[in-house]
Amino acid sequence: METKILDFSKENTNVFHADSRENKSYILIDPHGDISFDIKDNAHLKLAIVNKSDNNGTIKGSVGENSELEVYYADFADANNEIKTEINLDGENSSINWHLASLSKFNGKKTYEVSVSHNNLGTRSQIDNYGVCKNEAKLNFSGIVHIKKGSHRSAAHQNAKIIIFDDHTDAIAKPILKIDDNDIEASHASTVGKISDDELFYLTSRGINLEQARELITFGYLKPIVNGFDNEEIASKLVEEVEGGF
Amino acid sequence: MSTLTIKNLHVNVEGKQILKGVNLSISKGEVVALLGPNGHGKSTLLNVIMGHPKYEVTEGEILFDGKDVLSLGTDERAKLGLFLAFQNPIEVPGVSNSDFLRAAVNAGKEKPISTYNFYKLLDGAVKEAKVPFDYATRNLNEGFSGGEKKRNEMLQMLLLQPKLAMLDEIDSGLDVDAIQVVSDIINKEKNNDRAFLVISHYARLFDLINPTRAVVIINGRVVLDGGREIIKRIDTEGYEFIKTEYGIEIEKEDTRPASNSIGVCAVKEAVK
Repeated sequence: METKILDFSKENTNVFHADSRENKSYILIDPHGDISFDIKDNAHLKLAIVNKSDNNGTIKGSVGENSELEVYYADFADANNEIKTEINLDGENSSINWHLASLSKFNGKKTYEVSVSHNNLGTRSQIDNYGVCKNEAKLNFSGIVHIKKGSHRSAAHQNAKIIIFDDHTDAIAKPILKIDDNDIEASHASTVGKISDDELFYLTSRGINLEQARELITFGYLKPIVNGFDNEEIASKLVEEVEGGF
Repeated sequence: MSTLTIKNLHVNVEGKQILKGVNLSISKGEVVALLGPNGHGKSTLLNVIMGHPKYEVTEGEILFDGKDVLSLGTDERAKLGLFLAFQNPIEVPGVSNSDFLRAAVNAGKEKPISTYNFYKLLDGAVKEAKVPFDYATRNLNEGFSGGEKKRNEMLQMLLLQPKLAMLDEIDSGLDVDAIQVVSDIINKEKNNDRAFLVISHYARLFDLINPTRAVVIINGRVVLDGGREIIKRIDTEGYEFIKTEYGIEIEKEDTRPASNSIGVCAVKEAVK
């Protein structure tokens, strides 16, 4: 499958379709405004997004039967964002895999609201939001994953983790589950805090110095997002951005 | 020559005294079994030697090959040749095992090891620890079972080749075959002049590694330091004979301070 790269400084494609049995992959460079998608049955859509500047917008759409939406959202820019996502798992056995890595620094203010609605049988959501917050920046992960009544055998898992570096940062991780069906599987976890003494002790006990240990742990929150970008040049640039951000 | 010398070590944790004057020496090639009831200071001693910031040394000294260990950071202690296999190895999300292992191997070197030589070294250690090679590609201890975490500790020990390896309940969570692998590694490495300080509650591991000495810590002090027959006796009689023969009243475990570890749970929030 070929990955199409869309650079929003040159073009503006905000609507994405995957028809029945189609398998599509896009890398979106610095998209702005509202993005919508529509995934029909037995299809797969992958959106790998790099944010580079201030952005207020939404990502909304529907996933059909036996279909999957994959989103990798990398946001290491010195910017202010407010992104709201509404994903409707309308088809039976439809799924969403959402991965976000965000670095908020200086006076940046970033808010990510990732909401998913499980509207059918056997639907699956995996929402992973990882962030690092520095200086006087703000970072907010929220969103409601709602399993509607009758969506038996559905599974919803949410992870929201933020490392804070400074006393004046303001970080909130609030994954919310709303469950209206009994035959489901669900979990949510959140962590907000400085790097723990136990983690640092473990790494330094192997001879790694404190500074390098902090880097390894911090980069570990942000770098894995590059695995979602099927383009070596873009992935390398993202790694450089992470490493240059500290 | 003594490799590790601990003199009159007093240690507090969150204001409560846990170690109350520990004296202990370990020489090259020795395998020392460290025994004692839960909560009497065994793990504390190992963590203090390695330099966990939670523990406050109020009195005493620790020397390793003549160097003052307490004046050194944890990373510098590791570079001296000290190694701690953790009772509960920490999960570090996002950090790949191979990045971590390579950083650890490079830590003691002036010139970083080449990628080729690192993977050659890793391949050898992986085979010896009998772990699948995909350990290297997974995130550090994340999602590992208890047994996998312990095997990963042994893999790290093999890669780092410490002078003194301290193993804190390395056998907990391991099945019979894995305990055999761990004991084979210890038996091989002790012949390379390495020293071991091993905590275990089970005689099975000690039967396999034949410690040269057994040391018992009770109430924050070393109360017995002798031959391996002590292990057999504790295994069959428990610690009661220490009270009757040595007149030492064993303090109850619940006098320890409560741990403030957030551990691994569904919801963590630890803003410091």
